Parts: sequence; C-alpha cells; structure tokens
Amino acid sequence: MIDQDALTKKFQKEMNAGIASLVLLSVMEQATEPLYGYQVAKLLEDRSQATPMMKQGALYPVLRSLESSGLLESKVEPSVSGPPRRYYTITKAGRQSFQIWLQAWEQTKSYVDNILKGVSHD
Amino acid sequence: MTKTVEEYLQALKAELRGSDSATVQDALADAEEHLRTALASMQEGQPDLDQAQALAQIITQYGTPEETAAAYVEVERRTFSGLTPASVKKTGSWLGRFFAIYADPRAWGALFYMLIAFVTGVVYFSWAVIGLSLSVSLALFIFGLPVMLLFLLSIRGVIWLEGRLVEALLGIRMPRRPLFMPQNAKLLERIKVLVTDKHTWLSLVYMLLQFVLGMAYLAVLVMVFSFSISFIALPVLQEMFDIPLFQNVNGINYYLPQWGYPLAVLGGILLWTVTMHLVKWIGSLHGRYAKFLLVTE
Repeated sequence: MIDQDALTKKFQKEMNAGIASLVLLSVMEQATEPLYGYQVAKLLEDRSQATPMMKQGALYPVLRSLESSGLLESKVEPSVSGPPRRYYTITKAGRQSFQIWLQAWEQTKSYVDNILKGVSHD
Repeated sequence: MTKTVEEYLQALKAELRGSDSATVQDALADAEEHLRTALASMQEGQPDLDQAQALAQIITQYGTPEETAAAYVEVERRTFSGLTPASVKKTGSWLGRFFAIYADPRAWGALFYMLIAFVTGVVYFSWAVIGLSLSVSLALFIFGLPVMLLFLLSIRGVIWLEGRLVEALLGIRMPRRPLFMPQNAKLLERIKVLVTDKHTWLSLVYMLLQFVLGMAYLAVLVMVFSFSISFIALPVLQEMFDIPLFQNVNGINYYLPQWGYPLAVLGGILLWTVTMHLVKWIGSLHGRYAKFLLVTE
C-alpha cells in the first residue's frame, strides 16, 4: 500500500526547498522597512490568500540561511513586550540574487506549465 | 496539547535532541519570538481569549514542535555544509596535499584567529578581572549587587561576539543569536537563571583562559615565524649583508657554508608549512573547546 500522504509531504518538501527562499527574498525585496519573522509570516498570509505551502515555523531557518549567505542582514532589537526581535533587511547582493532567481523561476514555471498542459491535453 | 509557550519550547528542544546545540538555541529563540509576538497580537484583538486556545491556533500555523524541528534540521543540512569553506580538494600526491595547506581558508582563518586571540584575550581578561573585583569589593555596599548582575549579563554579550569570531574563523558552528531569558519571568527569576546557569561561569573561565592561550599562541607563532623567515632569508643575509648565522660570546662569527643554503631555505619553508598544519589543527581544537565551554549543554 502506498502512503500517499507521506509521499505528498515529501514531494512538497522537495518542491519548497528553493521556492521558500525565492518567496522570502521577494517579500524582503518589496519591504520598505526592516521586518521581523512574525511580520513576514503575516505578510505572506495576507498576500497569498491560499493555503500556505509551508508552516510559519519553517520560514525562520530559511531567513537565517539567507542571512548567512549574505542575501539578508539582520539586527536584534528589544521589543516593548516579549522577547527581542530579529529584524531582517535585504542586502545589495540579495536584490541582485532576487532578479536572477526571478528569471530562473519564470523559466522553470513556463517549462513546467508547458509540459503539464501537454499532459492534460492527452 | 501545548498550553504554554514554555511547554512548546521544551517539546521543541526534545525534538531537536542530538542536533547541533547552536541550531537548538537558534530554533528556540525563533520559536519564542514568534509565539510570543503572535500571542500578544491575538490577545490585543480579543483580550478575554483563553491563552491555551490562542496558542493552539497559533501552533497550527507555526507548526508542531516536530515539524519545526524537521525544518531546522533540513535547512541546516542543506546550507551549512555548503557555506563552510570546505577543506581544499585533495590532490593526488602526498607533496601536493602537504602544500595545499596554503590554499586552505580554514588554516588561514585559524592563523588569524590565533593572532588576534592575544588582543581579545587581553580585553576579555581585563573585563573579567575588573568586573569580578568591582563586584566583590562593592558587595559590601547595596549597589554592589546590581554591578555584579550587570557584569554577569555583559559576559553573555562578550561570549556571543567570541562565538561569531570562532564560527567565522575556525568554522565551528556557534549560536547566531544570544540566549534569551525566559519571558514573563520576574526580575528575581531572571537573576536566578543568570546566576545558576553554568555557562555564565564557564564563560568567565573562558575569558580568563583566553588571555593565557592568546599569549601562548602569539609567542609560539612569532617565534616559529621568525625562525622560518630567518632560515629562508639566510643566503641573502650572509651574502649581501654579511650577517652571520650565529655569533658566540667571544665575538666569533659562524657562517653557514654555501652548500647549506638550499637546505636552510628548504628547512624554513618546511618549518612554516608544518606550522600551518599545526595551526589548523589547534584552531579546530580551540573551536571544540570554545563550544564545549560556551554552548554545549
């Protein structure tokens, strides 16, 4: 018996690996001020208006990995209530990467779309 | 069913058991930041909302401890190994591998770390000694206590910085965020955490030891470096500047015969190359020692 659920989860995870970085970089690219994790999660929720593709908790490690690659930078600031917050901003290299990734995404998208369309016509 | 943020953090910590301790610290800090912020903003809208209910709703969006732990492990696995400048690709010959150390960023990082360890060691040591002596001598007065607490708190900042240095130069994963205090804790509880956390005291030990280590590193490096350079420069020094290899107490000069020049130069190069290998090795030892004292549970 094939475990469809587990397979789908695995597929989703593999698909998300790169997309999460693109989506987060795009949010940071459009941002006019430094954002902290919760704000990013909220923005994604407001903008997508669809079932989120990943849990909010999974955004944080991606943000940190983008930071360690030099595409984002961050600073920790104390908050009025609760623990200090880490505010992220995009770097110049991050903006450049985003433009390149966006092209890669467009290519991938049209490639996949074309093939999938072919499938549905059969 | 998770009722409080603390419970969630405990569960997350349990899920991450066996992971890198720095990853655990980052994951806990992120989760705490998110959950508390989300909780606060939900309660702002509905003040009479039950906390456990609100938290359950937040967690369905944030992910269970299991899911969150998996996300960290996954990203860590994908990115960290790729970003750390891995050791240089092994070339075939033994000789090639021996000299490839000069192209190994880890060796240069360790060398740089060992050189600046003297400066950081002096700073840490002075800070620790000043802080300790101020705290102890002012303990006679009532304002001695706050001074001591401020000092203990400052240790965390210093150690976080040291952790960044260790990660950047020695390539040992260290926490990327300072450790948070348990939230909503009363001032007294916070003080208790600060004073009873063994890392506060181990960090203090680290700061004091760094002085000794930094001095030793610098002394040994400078000594070996000057030996290597002298050997390499020996032919030029003898032939052009008439500087002898060695002068005894009676003022008699000893020169290295000319057939020894290639040997001297080769010896100098070998000495420094071996030292580079040693430096890389000591750097990784130092990194593990720093991690043991500063982070490991």
